[in-house]
Amino acid sequence: MTATLAPPAAARRPRLRAHAAPAGFLLPFLVPFTLFTLVPVGFAFWQSLHATRRSGGTFGRTESVFAGLDQYARVLSAPYFADSMLRVAAFAVVQIPVMLALATGLALLLDSAAARLRSFFRLVYFVPYGIPGVVAALMWAFLYDPRLSPIVHLLHSIGIDAAFLTPAGVLWSIGNVVTWTYTGYNMLVLYSALQAVPRDVCEAAKVDGAGQWAIALRIKLPMILPALVLTTVFSLIGTFQLFTEPQVFRQISTSVSSTFTPNLAAYSLTAGDRYGEAAAMSVLLASATFVLSFAFLRLTTRRQGRP
Amino acid sequence: MVSTGRPLPGRVSAVSTALLLALLTGCGGGGGSDSSDAGAACRPSSGKVTLEYWSWVPGMDKAVALWNSQNPDIQVNVKTTPSGNAGTYQNLSNALKADKAPDLSQIEYDSLASFRIKNGLRDISGCPGVAEAKGTFIDWTWSQVDFGGAGADGVWAVPQDTGPMALFYRKDVFDQLGLSAPTTWAEYEAAARTIKAAGKGQSITHFSQTDPNWFTGLLWQNKAGMFQRNGDQWKVTIDRPESRQVADYWQHLIDDKLVATDLQGFSPALYKAWDSGEVVTWISAAWGYSTIRDNAPSTAGKWAVAPMPQWTKGAQAAGNWGGSTTAVLKGSKHPAEAAKFALWLNTDPKALEILNREGGLYPAASSGLQLPALQQPVSFYGGQKIFDVFAQASKGVDTGFTWGPTMTDTYRFLSDGAAKVAGGTGNLSDVLEQAQSQSVQSLHEQSLDVVG
Repeated sequence: MTATLAPPAAARRPRLRAHAAPAGFLLPFLVPFTLFTLVPVGFAFWQSLHATRRSGGTFGRTESVFAGLDQYARVLSAPYFADSMLRVAAFAVVQIPVMLALATGLALLLDSAAARLRSFFRLVYFVPYGIPGVVAALMWAFLYDPRLSPIVHLLHSIGIDAAFLTPAGVLWSIGNVVTWTYTGYNMLVLYSALQAVPRDVCEAAKVDGAGQWAIALRIKLPMILPALVLTTVFSLIGTFQLFTEPQVFRQISTSVSSTFTPNLAAYSLTAGDRYGEAAAMSVLLASATFVLSFAFLRLTTRRQGRP
Repeated sequence: MVSTGRPLPGRVSAVSTALLLALLTGCGGGGGSDSSDAGAACRPSSGKVTLEYWSWVPGMDKAVALWNSQNPDIQVNVKTTPSGNAGTYQNLSNALKADKAPDLSQIEYDSLASFRIKNGLRDISGCPGVAEAKGTFIDWTWSQVDFGGAGADGVWAVPQDTGPMALFYRKDVFDQLGLSAPTTWAEYEAAARTIKAAGKGQSITHFSQTDPNWFTGLLWQNKAGMFQRNGDQWKVTIDRPESRQVADYWQHLIDDKLVATDLQGFSPALYKAWDSGEVVTWISAAWGYSTIRDNAPSTAGKWAVAPMPQWTKGAQAAGNWGGSTTAVLKGSKHPAEAAKFALWLNTDPKALEILNREGGLYPAASSGLQLPALQQPVSFYGGQKIFDVFAQASKGVDTGFTWGPTMTDTYRFLSDGAAKVAGGTGNLSDVLEQAQSQSVQSLHEQSLDVVG
């Protein structure tokens, strides 16, 4: 009896588990993702289709009415839209490669057999990421401010006039803050990927006469390519949402307008009670970020010869 | 908050902070403004009441502490917030949408219409003591809070202070260079040239980009009203000959590098420049006396105050910069107590004395102008009776100035434009032109009736 009953039960249980287990693992991701990403984007989309109408004069009754794509037309035709998008695009093209090159270099150094005090340096590089963005931006703002900064004074005394906050310089200055903050974080992701590179492959290469450079370039880098793709996608997403640094720098620099980045533009619009337009701007920003990240992923997976 | 390279699942969301807030708050739109019945419902609450109050007046906690000690049944919690355009108005807008707004908040005259338009204010005309208080305040300040409706249209806040403008200048520096206080803008420019020519790296003033309401004060002096309201119709008059005259003048000073253009208002860098004597004048409001006093301590005794330079010799026109009200907000459950506190705060001699001493406020209550403190010589200003100058300026402020209902946006356009000018691109006349068309668009966006 038991022998005949056992197989179906055994067969059923794994099948059930096969469904429940992935769902269980996904839940901690899906719940916050739904709450904090899907619902807000959905709400923003709903909001973006509406406009304020007023009846009974200036101080009369207001209501939210369906306006179709009016708000999108408004955003797309506004000069701040193209300006801010192009600005973050230019930022991404310069800042992301620099940051990831630095992060990769540091990760490879830490991973190389010669490195000493590994965990100490790992921590040192990671510390900036642990500092809240606003605090970091305020600290750098102080270091950039021509009248307060000891660095500017020092540079001035040796004949260099550093202009960190001029229209030409401010984007670079913001780039520096972002690089300072996130290089360590990306380094850690890449370093973890390097830990997974099988040591015997490296040993074999060494036996075949490969030096540290060759091992790094020909073996380690190709094997951590997925991690590099991942950090690039995250960086792209982050760059298009740039907010904290420009917002803080607005207090000290004359070069950061209220629509400097797309996120800052959406924020400024809400201050003027233009919630519909801000929502449309946000949806466009979310879409642009999604399309770019997706396109980049497609491009790189194809390069790697995967479907 | 969100920045480069953070892990996707850990990040809060892909949409802007503002929209997250909007989500938490429910839908946009907002209800009606039932001003007619609001007043009638303003009855005192029974039992002990706690009110929440947002303000950025330095030393407000001391005035509130005095109230709390005298009124055990109506306790006020004051929260110190950043100044209005620096963040409080935005937070307040979002809090109103979320039904989490405080009972009371400081709101400047220029933003009162914006908050009424978004249905954020409580009509307190029916609250005990409010109607009777009208005569205690300087006329034009009261017409700001009843929107010129003589009470028929409700009362939406209690006036707190005004900001008649004058010229703060370093008397010692002017004396050394053989200059006297400039009485006209032409003399002011001449003084700027003398100061620059002295070659000590000093500038007559800074051109502030973060303070569009400072620039508005300059326009105000030249009778360059920015908005006109005719019933429910609005006309935008930001770009007009009177404002162009002001813009061209300052553009000229900027072009000739006579003013410092890399200093933001109220920034540590500006305070340092005052303290070290790098910047030697400030055209500012009455409340500005405590700003200099508190932030440039080593220049004590060296400053003096003179009337604002004039466009026409012998005229006595002054601009107004700022000045606030204490507004009761829509959601307050205790409007009667909130109104009672607001009235006390802005008329009680002891409260006014604290607000003047700590925060440098120049009272909106007529009786406040008799405060002993306002008749005294001020040692920081070399023993000058500086409030005589502001009393005179107060009489020269054009009381017909009308604020637009979308000032937050208009200020933003002016500020962005001024930032470009300071950065060396564009000029202030173009800024006026752009702010004009952008403000028209902004009014349309709020579905307001715009003409011309």
